[in-house]
Amino acid sequence: MSMDLEHADSPPYSSFFGVMGVTFAMIFSALGASYGTAKAGTGISCISVVRPDLIMKSIIPVVMAGIIAIYGLVVAALISNDIKPKDYTLFKSFTHLGAGLSVGLCGLAAGVAIGMVGDAGVRGTSQQPRLFVGMILVLIFAEVLGLYGLIVALILSTKSG
Amino acid sequence: MASVLTPVYIVLTMALAAFLILSFYYTLTDQGYRYNIGWLLQDTSPYMWANLGIGLGISLSVVGAAWGIFTTGSSILGGGVKAPRIRTKNLVSIIFCEAVAIYGIIMAIVISNQETVFNPQKWSEAERYQLSSQNHHAGYSMFGAGLTVGFSNLFCGICVGIVGSGAALADAQNSSLFVKILIVEIFGSAIGLFGVIISILQVTHAKMGDK
Repeated sequence: MSMDLEHADSPPYSSFFGVMGVTFAMIFSALGASYGTAKAGTGISCISVVRPDLIMKSIIPVVMAGIIAIYGLVVAALISNDIKPKDYTLFKSFTHLGAGLSVGLCGLAAGVAIGMVGDAGVRGTSQQPRLFVGMILVLIFAEVLGLYGLIVALILSTKSG
Repeated sequence: MASVLTPVYIVLTMALAAFLILSFYYTLTDQGYRYNIGWLLQDTSPYMWANLGIGLGISLSVVGAAWGIFTTGSSILGGGVKAPRIRTKNLVSIIFCEAVAIYGIIMAIVISNQETVFNPQKWSEAERYQLSSQNHHAGYSMFGAGLTVGFSNLFCGICVGIVGSGAALADAQNSSLFVKILIVEIFGSAIGLFGVIISILQVTHAKMGDK
């Protein structure tokens, strides 16, 4: 095939990496959010039998896991609007891959952390009500990990050049 | 005491060793240029990427739905031994899992509608770069879209199944608990919906063809 110098920095295959960035952003955030929802959900199902009044307060870990999925959704939508069929340089393509990987894998880690902390937290709060604030504090730290991934992804995806 | 993961570790180590031995061989015999990802991406047909995406999209969604259904279903049937009243109400959880498979089939049909025949022999020299980029982009987008919807639905289905199982067993103890734990299931099924949204965004710009 023709290797013309004019299009050397935006070869026909360059959109592969951008598309993979979008895909990884959504897939790994979805995995983290699903793990968090399922793990916290089993904790809620367990405590709901003995303390049905605590269910509404215990949905907080599930909401925070859902926010992780939203981080991935936002970055994926942002990146996929930037992908063009032609004149899409390898520079932009690889920065989009990096952005997708950063929000995705950070979201995966944050989601797993939120799930485990939420599960242990709701089980502990059902027995000791003073633990509720402690659970929220630890959950916030876990959520912020996903936010770091979002920040780096936004920095990368708005890079021009 | 050999753990259940030992065969996984063995296979992964052998794969890594094979990769390292091959890379050293190629590097040291001056054949490093043959490791060419650009050639691989450009010479594989966009049809391959598109159809892989479609196939993985539907099949992974269905795996997720099936996983969720058997997780929830076995809990409903087990808990229903002592509390048969939970049978009909907990079918809602099963329907949440089935919805995940419906998302998969809808996306597979939408993605496959974008796929058309293109013929590089008919392209003029002036438009070759543009059409080649466009068709490759279309193939990769369909692959990415299929992967996105497939894996998102896989994880969503497993999640909804696990939560639905918890809901069934809590319902068996106290019937007012089911509706509250359904809220957690709704958060879980939103994840599959996000995957569908991103998949649609990826595939709307995909244009295969000779124009």
